[in-house]
Amino acid sequence: MRRIESHIDTNAADYKANFAAMSERLKEFHARQHAARFERPQRDIDRLARQNKLGVRERLKLLLDPGTPFLEFSTLAACREYDGAVPGAAVVTGIGIVQGREVAIHANDASVKGGAWYPHTVKKIVRLLDVALENRLPVVHICDSAGGFLPLQHGVFPDRYLGGRVFRNQVKLSQANIPQIAIVGGHCTAGGAYVPTLSDYNIIIEGTGAIFLGGPPLVKAATGEEVSVQELGGAVMHTSVSGTGDYRAATEQHAFALAREIVSQWKRMPKTIIETAAHEEPYYDPKELYGIIPKDRKTQFDMREVLARIVDGSRFHEYQPDYGTTMICGFAHIWGFKVGILANNGVLFNDSSLKAAHFMQLCNQNRTPLVFFQNITGYMVGREYEERGIAKDGAKMLMAQGGSVVPKFTVIANASYGAGNYGMCGRAWDARTLFMWPQAEIGVMGADQAANTMADVKIRQLEREGKQLTEVEIAAIRDPVLEKFRRDVEAYTSTSELWDDGILDPADTRNALGMSISAALNAPIDDPHYGIFRL
Amino acid sequence: MTISKLLVANRGEIAARVLRTAKARGLATAVLRHVAEQEGPAHLIADEVVMIDGPTPVAAYLDISQIVAAARKIGANAVHPGYGFLSENAGFVAALEEAGVTFVGPTSEVIDLMGDKVRARAFVEARGFPIAPSAIEDDDPTTFVERARTLGYPLLIKPSAGGGGKGMRIVREDSTLKTEIETARREGQRYFGDGRLFVERYIERPRHIEVQVMGDGQGNVVHFWERECSIQRRFQKIIEETPSPALSPEQRLEICETAAGIARAVNYRGAGTVEFIYAQDGAFYFLEMNTRLQVEHPVTEMVTGFDLVAEQLRIAAGEGLSAAQSDIRQTGHSIELRICAEDATADFRPAIGDILLLDEPQGEGVRVDSGILDGGKVTTDFDPMLSKLIVHGADRAQAIARARNAVQNYVILGVTTNTGYLDAILAHPDFASGDVSTGFLAEQADVLTAPGEDVSTLLMAAAALSDQRLVTDVMQIPEMHRKMGGWRN
Amino acid sequence: MRRIFMIAGHEAECWLTHDGSRFVLNMPDGAVPCQLDPTGAPGAHVLRTGGRAHELRLAVGSESTFIHLNGRTFEVGRVDPDDRLAGREGAAGGDRLLAPMPGVVVSVAVKPGDTVTEGQPLLVIESMKLETTLTAPRDGVVAEMPFTAGDSFGLKAVLAQLTPQED
Repeated sequence: MRRIESHIDTNAADYKANFAAMSERLKEFHARQHAARFERPQRDIDRLARQNKLGVRERLKLLLDPGTPFLEFSTLAACREYDGAVPGAAVVTGIGIVQGREVAIHANDASVKGGAWYPHTVKKIVRLLDVALENRLPVVHICDSAGGFLPLQHGVFPDRYLGGRVFRNQVKLSQANIPQIAIVGGHCTAGGAYVPTLSDYNIIIEGTGAIFLGGPPLVKAATGEEVSVQELGGAVMHTSVSGTGDYRAATEQHAFALAREIVSQWKRMPKTIIETAAHEEPYYDPKELYGIIPKDRKTQFDMREVLARIVDGSRFHEYQPDYGTTMICGFAHIWGFKVGILANNGVLFNDSSLKAAHFMQLCNQNRTPLVFFQNITGYMVGREYEERGIAKDGAKMLMAQGGSVVPKFTVIANASYGAGNYGMCGRAWDARTLFMWPQAEIGVMGADQAANTMADVKIRQLEREGKQLTEVEIAAIRDPVLEKFRRDVEAYTSTSELWDDGILDPADTRNALGMSISAALNAPIDDPHYGIFRL
Repeated sequence: MTISKLLVANRGEIAARVLRTAKARGLATAVLRHVAEQEGPAHLIADEVVMIDGPTPVAAYLDISQIVAAARKIGANAVHPGYGFLSENAGFVAALEEAGVTFVGPTSEVIDLMGDKVRARAFVEARGFPIAPSAIEDDDPTTFVERARTLGYPLLIKPSAGGGGKGMRIVREDSTLKTEIETARREGQRYFGDGRLFVERYIERPRHIEVQVMGDGQGNVVHFWERECSIQRRFQKIIEETPSPALSPEQRLEICETAAGIARAVNYRGAGTVEFIYAQDGAFYFLEMNTRLQVEHPVTEMVTGFDLVAEQLRIAAGEGLSAAQSDIRQTGHSIELRICAEDATADFRPAIGDILLLDEPQGEGVRVDSGILDGGKVTTDFDPMLSKLIVHGADRAQAIARARNAVQNYVILGVTTNTGYLDAILAHPDFASGDVSTGFLAEQADVLTAPGEDVSTLLMAAAALSDQRLVTDVMQIPEMHRKMGGWRN
Repeated sequence: MRRIFMIAGHEAECWLTHDGSRFVLNMPDGAVPCQLDPTGAPGAHVLRTGGRAHELRLAVGSESTFIHLNGRTFEVGRVDPDDRLAGREGAAGGDRLLAPMPGVVVSVAVKPGDTVTEGQPLLVIESMKLETTLTAPRDGVVAEMPFTAGDSFGLKAVLAQLTPQED
């Protein structure tokens, strides 16, 4: 495979301006991420200390193998909900390494509202368990939750992908022979009681851990019985009387040591074999991505320059280099894993759509995972393109993409508008992981177009009513809409709503993809099969 | 009388050492082994190994009737007792005599006499040899404390029946005299079955100098010069050397002839050692006579060129001494280090363990008398001394240099030993200058057990990389994840 | 993966990683790349770290690694912190009397079921040619006296066990 030849001039003024703008964005991003992870009101920190509990980050440190990576999902989930008072949606999820094994981790963050389940909490946990199911990853649950957040119970409890889905997924995991362990480091009340009880193994920490369907106040209200937490569902009772708990741990440290010992008993399943090569760092510095990504989203840039800073050795074998050139297709290695890459270099035309559909079929045939780099404003519109069957060709691309049996991974590198989001494996299309870069946008169309479209509708309506609008009046209609749209398409909105698995510093993309691909290979790859292509 | 078959009634390094000479002399040889005892070098050298049993391993080696029966069973007509165990037990000698087996050592009468510190002192004093002023309890127990007090402090209390430093106490204040006497009496009772004590004036900063003697029991006695044994811990010798750096030629001659005179006075037969306290002013006093081969005899062999065990066997066989006094000269300097399984950094706690790797030093002037084998096990069943490292050099400086080099290259892995401590002693400037007393180790304890250069990072790296479970666990982490290290997004 | 190493009575926790080409020993105050290769003779290795090569001899025991380096011999105790934590024992430390050093039991003064008071002699051991009397760490009832006179025991052997105290 040949090295991509970069044409970036790191001394150029626009490179430097881009670099400065991205650095500024990343500063904000890292600050927000740090706050979501670590900054808590003193009373919450004090409460944990009083309860003799470790914070969720310390717990992860005890759980994970030292010196190994942890791919955290959706750190900024719920960042635009609940007045920002539920950082991370009160739960930490991700993929980490325990005793040399890749595991999915679901850990309540009791420093946020006592670890209560908000609607976004549930969404984040369900997503994690979906990841575990799709990739056949063992799950470690670290339970410490006050239970469902009652004022928002409608958003937590009843629907198909709400609370019940957590337990349903646990059952499906077990059914699929995927082991789970729960460490009970706080209360598991009501539905929460099923997390440890549906796990193959569970460990209860003495003094702090407890499992019950109804806590002491509820019991008292229901039957008048007065009973202490420990009597009702403490470690000693459950491990010696009810058999609900498997192991009793004297301390948090003890619990995680036990958990690690238990995980080390699990059989290592052989991973799916795909083409691999020796690891090679990118030839070009990934930090240069900061200067490549334009500070103005509307500025076009060559996605090959991006690939050159992510793939092994900056090497790329491009497929059909001279056909359908707004769609870059080709093979590369990421952390040694052979992947087929689809990256946008402009709007999708008929030829670029057909090229993408054909390339995806090649990859499926060859069991090569797919990685999508989105910078897409959509499929080309207009009479000429409709006549050429752009919708038909787009459908072929969707059929090939949606019908792919190989694992898919998506990076929303810049724009993700309209049907382009679908064709390029947006959230609805089962990418094993999907990450956004901080400046990226996602929407039916760009904020300006959307605002203009909506303002035009309003203006035309007023004109029909005979009103002649001044520039100021037009701006008064347009600007609030624009402002709302700009906010709605931002990566922070997407990540708050869990439309992605998190915002990434572009320089972290290579590792995030490596972790994702490696995890995906725990699941087998089916034989290729498709629906009907509209020819 | 010819010795045809020799049973060595001992174990460890001394059994191996005696057996080597016996075999070289063409004797059939046998050695004891307790049923639960590890195989040692002696068992590989001896033609025959006789298994013994007892309530404890030590008890078996002290079981006179069992050992005499063993000698008879295998047809041994001589027994070499080594040191310790039954080497100074008159009852053992008598039992062997009765069984018609030759004891390689002195007569039971001499053993009896010298084994009783009180009688030995009286005997030596009566013949005009120098002894420290003393009071003896046997005279009158009721006035013992009173008379002890009149000697003046500091005082040294010893069990009459004792030896090897057991039960000895130094008393510096009158207020503790009574309780120390009572404690010493109890310990004497327990260790030796004899609560009698004697007390002597304790000499400050004394040196311990002893003289190797050898008699043929026919009135001929020679000495093999002195050994300096001042490097002691709790009265246990750790490093011995010869010649003593403290003695002038005139003093050397005087002390050695005194020792020979004492041996002559009892018409001594076999190998013996006369121990003296040597005061800073050059005066010396008879301490005791050990009627056996000493642990530290090899340094004498190294500078005189004589094989003392061969001399013992000659005498026992009635062949007499091989040399006249004028033939016995000191050439160069020799030092012995006692390699013990103990942790010098933890109050010399005895160490146990499996010997995982043993590599003894070699080279010019280096001798190792070892009681252990690679792959063996060190238990608390016996004395913690594993082996002795003996070096010879043209002069004291060369001997020290060789000793340091050898002890640094003495590799015993699997059980903690005192090699580092021994090296620290050798490296001490006071040792180099020879300015030591029996209190040296106690006075310099902090210096000698101070941690050396901090190599803990190297040690942890070596321990980590040789920990197969750890390495396997690490290498089972997929390569990509290892390379990413502690990456966080 | 973590280890607690004990050198001369001091504990240090560290963890080993491998970055694809070499091992790295990580300590709380830094990390060093390191490599250990055997050189042929029994236990002989070369340890390369910090740009320097060190010849050493080593032997791996069940709980300690013994290393002969620069003319000195060291014992490095190894503990897997997970094992230490996961294998916690039930009885509290105050209930048992552990041997301060290896030795031989001289006499035993009490038997299981006896009520003892704090400081009361339980048994006499001999080690280092000295008698040591071991006494009850607290008031209580003797649960177990595993050794009898004449028995030898190793470091940290349980010499006496009291019945657990009730809260």
